[in-house]
Amino acid sequence: MTEDVTQRQSVDTVQEPTLDVRPAPARTPGEPALQREFRSWIYAFAGWLIPGLGHALQKMWGRAFVICTAVGTLVYVGASMRGNVFTSSGGDAFDTLGYIADMGTGCFYLFARLLERAGADVSHSQGDYGTRFLATAGVLNILAALHAYEAARGRKA
Amino acid sequence: MTLAPGPGLSLSHFQAFLLFAAVISIAFGYLGRRRTNDRLRYILWSFFLFLAVGIGLAWVMYPFSR
Repeated sequence: MTEDVTQRQSVDTVQEPTLDVRPAPARTPGEPALQREFRSWIYAFAGWLIPGLGHALQKMWGRAFVICTAVGTLVYVGASMRGNVFTSSGGDAFDTLGYIADMGTGCFYLFARLLERAGADVSHSQGDYGTRFLATAGVLNILAALHAYEAARGRKA
Repeated sequence: MTLAPGPGLSLSHFQAFLLFAAVISIAFGYLGRRRTNDRLRYILWSFFLFLAVGIGLAWVMYPFSR
């Protein structure tokens, strides 16, 4: 425990201040490991549900803003290009994979469904590009949520 | 970039490619690096690689398109 605190202090002195404040709540001294683990999962879940929230809760404002903007942009462009927003009623494995990727955008999935009132049009290249944008947004958000989890555990900053 | 008739955003393949590369590079730069200078360098390098690999692959596939 003492060694852990010493190591943490040495890390704090080395790091330079940037826009992203270090994840202070995740490094609370004396916090039980189980509690930290639980909080890390909460951050990951929050990050998935609302892109960027997992980082915002850890006061990583720059990352939170960029993740939210990037995922939002990809979803908006993808849905506006009439990409395929997959549903759970897909008939084959590719539809299921697409649905999982799209669900990675969290609440933005509903936003995409709302934007795409006219339905998907993958008969043109635009719709095909849009499908890729939507899937990428989901995978990017899952990556960001995992990053928030790792940061909360103190493995990344 | 034009808004096509009806509900649809119309981007050319290259415009979509540039937008995709820019957004993903910025997101990766912010997630992967901590210091501002490192981020900027990572974003520019990642963006350049996206372009280089994308255009390179396009040229590799070009003979098969005929």
